[in-house]
Amino acid sequence: MSRVPKQPEKAIKLYKDDIAYMQMLQDMLAADTSEEGAINRAVIQAVMDRSNEVLQCIEKDEPFIASWYPYSAEFLTAMDVTWWMFAQTAFLGIESPHVADDVDGGERLLGSDFCTVLRLLLYYVEADMSPKPSALVALLHPCDGTVIAHQAIKHGNWADVPIFGADPPYWDNERAINYYANEMKKLVKFVSEITGKKLDIDRLREVCEESNKIYALWQEYNELRRAIPCPHDWTLGPPQAFAMATYYNVGKPGGEEWFKKLIANAERRVKEKVQPIAGGERIRVLWFDILPLLWQFDIQPWMESEWGVNIVMNMFGYTPYTPIDTKNEETMFHDMAKRSLNDFPMVRQARGVADHFLTDIEKIVKDYSIDCVIWPGHMGHKDGSANVGMMREKCREIGVPFLYIGLDLFDKRYTSPDEVKDILSRFFSQHGLGKR
Amino acid sequence: MQTTVKSKALDTFKEATKTILNPVLKRWIDGGGKVMGYFCSYGPEEVITAAGMVPMRVRATGSTSTELADAYLSSINCSFCRHAFNAGLSGDYDFLEGVVWLNNCDHVRRIYDNWRRKVHTPLPVMMSLPKMTTDTQVEWFKDEIVNFKGALEKHLGVKITDDQLREAIKVHNETRRLLRQLYDLRKKENPPITGAESLAVVVASTCMPRAEYNGMLKELLEELKGAEGIKDYKVRLMLLGSILDDPNYVKVIEDMGGLVVTDSLCFGTRIFWTDVDEKTKDPIDALAKYYIQDKPACPRMFDQQPNRSKFVQDMVKEFKVDGVIGLRMVMCDLWTGELFMMDKDLKAAKIPLIRLEREYAVVGAGQLRTRVQAFIESIGGRR
Repeated sequence: MSRVPKQPEKAIKLYKDDIAYMQMLQDMLAADTSEEGAINRAVIQAVMDRSNEVLQCIEKDEPFIASWYPYSAEFLTAMDVTWWMFAQTAFLGIESPHVADDVDGGERLLGSDFCTVLRLLLYYVEADMSPKPSALVALLHPCDGTVIAHQAIKHGNWADVPIFGADPPYWDNERAINYYANEMKKLVKFVSEITGKKLDIDRLREVCEESNKIYALWQEYNELRRAIPCPHDWTLGPPQAFAMATYYNVGKPGGEEWFKKLIANAERRVKEKVQPIAGGERIRVLWFDILPLLWQFDIQPWMESEWGVNIVMNMFGYTPYTPIDTKNEETMFHDMAKRSLNDFPMVRQARGVADHFLTDIEKIVKDYSIDCVIWPGHMGHKDGSANVGMMREKCREIGVPFLYIGLDLFDKRYTSPDEVKDILSRFFSQHGLGKR
Repeated sequence: MQTTVKSKALDTFKEATKTILNPVLKRWIDGGGKVMGYFCSYGPEEVITAAGMVPMRVRATGSTSTELADAYLSSINCSFCRHAFNAGLSGDYDFLEGVVWLNNCDHVRRIYDNWRRKVHTPLPVMMSLPKMTTDTQVEWFKDEIVNFKGALEKHLGVKITDDQLREAIKVHNETRRLLRQLYDLRKKENPPITGAESLAVVVASTCMPRAEYNGMLKELLEELKGAEGIKDYKVRLMLLGSILDDPNYVKVIEDMGGLVVTDSLCFGTRIFWTDVDEKTKDPIDALAKYYIQDKPACPRMFDQQPNRSKFVQDMVKEFKVDGVIGLRMVMCDLWTGELFMMDKDLKAAKIPLIRLEREYAVVGAGQLRTRVQAFIESIGGRR
C-alpha cells in the first residue's frame, strides 16, 4: 500500500513552477556577489531544498508530513521525517502573477474578512493546487482561523489524510506546559504510526543541542541589531533568521553555519559602521507583526528611500531564545512544549493573555532604540487588533509613537500601497520622525 | 405572527430581552443578591448558582454605539464584542460581582484583557477551554472548574459544597428539561409559540434567578398546552449560528412567513439539549464532561464537526424543517468556516441553506426581508 496519497497533477505542476520561480530569483541574485547576497541565497536554497525534499518523497513513495513551525520541529528532525509548512505554498507565490487570482479563489470559499493566508491555504487544497501529504498536523492556535481552516481542509479534499491537532491551553504556566508536553508526546506517536519511524531520545538530544546553538546564535545576531545604525536593512535579518531557526534548519548543522556567517557579516558591518540604508538610517521601526510578504517590494524600498526607515525588529524576529534542557526525555518535551506555547513568534503573543504584546513591545523598544512602533493590523489578526488600545497606552507610557494601519499583509488591494504610504507619511511627519 | 396565549410569564420573558438589567434581576439585586456575568455558553453557570449568585449571560441589549470601546478595539473585531465592552465601559454592568470569560473565540478572549484593565468589576476570571473533546480535555477542564470554584470561594468568603453543586445542577437541568418541553411543542404542525417568542424564553433563562425562572416557565408551558397553534406560515425554518439574543431579528424572518421552529444557537438548543449527569459521584466531574463532551459543540471544537453537522440534520428531520438559515456575525472566523462546511453537508443532504451575515445591534430589516423572502420563495413549494 502506498504511503503517499495520489497527487493532484495540477499541484505538482504548480509546485514545480514555484520552485522554478525560486530558481529564477536565485539566478538573478547570483549577480550580487556580496556577503549579504550569499547569505540570502542560502535561505532561498533552503526553501528550494525543502520543496524538492517533498517532491522526492512523492517520487520515492516516502511519507511526508504537512505541519507548522510552532510545533518545535526538533522531534521531526530527530525522526528524520520530511515535513513542510504547507502555508509555504502561499508564501512561495511572492509577487507571482497567479497570487491575486488565488486570493480571489480563496475569497469565493471563505469570504473577504477571513485571514487571506488561511483562505489561500484552503483554496490550494480545494483546488488541488497543493501536494497531498501522508498526514496533516493541524495547528489549533493562535487564532480561530487556524482552528476552523484545518477543519475545513479535513472536511474537503484532504478528508482521507490522517490528521492530528495538539490541544493548546490558554495559559502559559507549568500546568499548561506539562499538558502540552503530553499533547506533543501524542503527536510523536501519531507521526511514528504514519511514517514508521521511531523517536530515538539520544538523537533528539543531539538535535536539541544543535537547536540550542542555533537559538543562541539567533540571539547573538539580534543583539548586533541593537547597534546604531543597525547592521542590515529590510532585505536581511529577522525574517530569514526566523525561517532558518524554526523551519528550514531546525536542529541541523546547516543552521549553525548560516547563522555564523550572518553574525560575522553583521559584526563586520557594525565595526565599520556601515550605513544599511543609502542616506542613513533615520527611523528605527518595530513592525510588530509579519512583514507584508506578498507585497513587500511595494512598500519597504519606499519606506527606506523616502523616510530612512529601517525595520530593526519585527514580531517574527523576536523570541525569548530559551534553550531546551537536554537532561532527559521529560525535560526535552517540557521545553519543546514551552517553546511551542510561549516562545514562537505570533503564537507567543496571540495565543493567550495579551500581556506578551505589551511586555515584548516595551523590551524591544528599549533594547533596540526604537523610534516608533507600527502595528500593521493585518485583517486576519483579530485578537491582536483587539489589543490596539492596550498597545497604544503602553507606547504612550514608554514615550514612543504608535501607529495602527489596518491592512492585509497578503493582499495589497485591501489597503493599497499608496494609502499605506500616505498613512505612514502623515504619521512620520506628525511625530517629527525621519527628518533629513 | 404570534402566540394566541396571553401569558404573564411570556411577557416577563420578553421584557427581560429588552434591557440588560431586567425587573426580576433588579429585584434580586435590591434584595441583596449578587450576580456574576459570563460570556459564553461554555461558562459553567451551575458553579455560579452553587455560590449563591445569579449567572447572567453578558449581552449588549439596547446598545446603540461602540464609541467608548472603539478606542481599544478595532473595526475587525465583531460587533457583539464591541457593544458588550462598550456596555462595560458605560457602567451598564456595574451591578456585576464578577465576570467569567473563556477563550472561546479571539474576540471574546480579548474583551477579558481589556475589561480587566478598564472596567472595575470586582472579580474578573478567565477559564481555559480546550479545543478538543477527548477525556484528556475533560480532565483539564475539571481543573479549570476547580480553579474557578476556588476563585469564587475566595472572593465571596464561602465554601461551595458538593451538595450545593448537585443542587445547582438539578436546578439547571430542570431549566434544560423545561426548555426541551417548550421545543417539543414547536415540533407540532401548528406550534403554539413563534421562534421570536421562544428566543425570548431562552434568553430570559440566562438572566434571572433560576428557580424563579423555572417556575414561570412551567406556567408558560401549561398555558401553551391548550393553545391554538400558529397556522399562517409558509415554511418551517431552523436558525444556525452563534450569538443571537434579539427576538426582533427573528420576528422579521417570521413576518415574511417563515416560522422558526428550532435552532442551533448559543442562546438556543446548544445550552439545553443535553443534561449534566446527576448520577456522577463528583459533581465537578459531571460538569466537566457535560461542557466538553456532552453538550452540542461550537465550531471551535476541532474534532466535533461531523457531530455538529449531524445535530443540524437530526434537528431538520425532528422538527420537519424546510430550510436552514445560517447566521454569521461579521468578522467571525469560526462561523465562516462552519457555514462553509455546513453548506456542503446540507447540499449533500438536499437541505436548503441560506447564509446571512449580521451585525449585533442592527437588525437591517430591509435587507433581511429581501433575502429571507427570496429564500422562502425558493423552498416554499415544499409545503
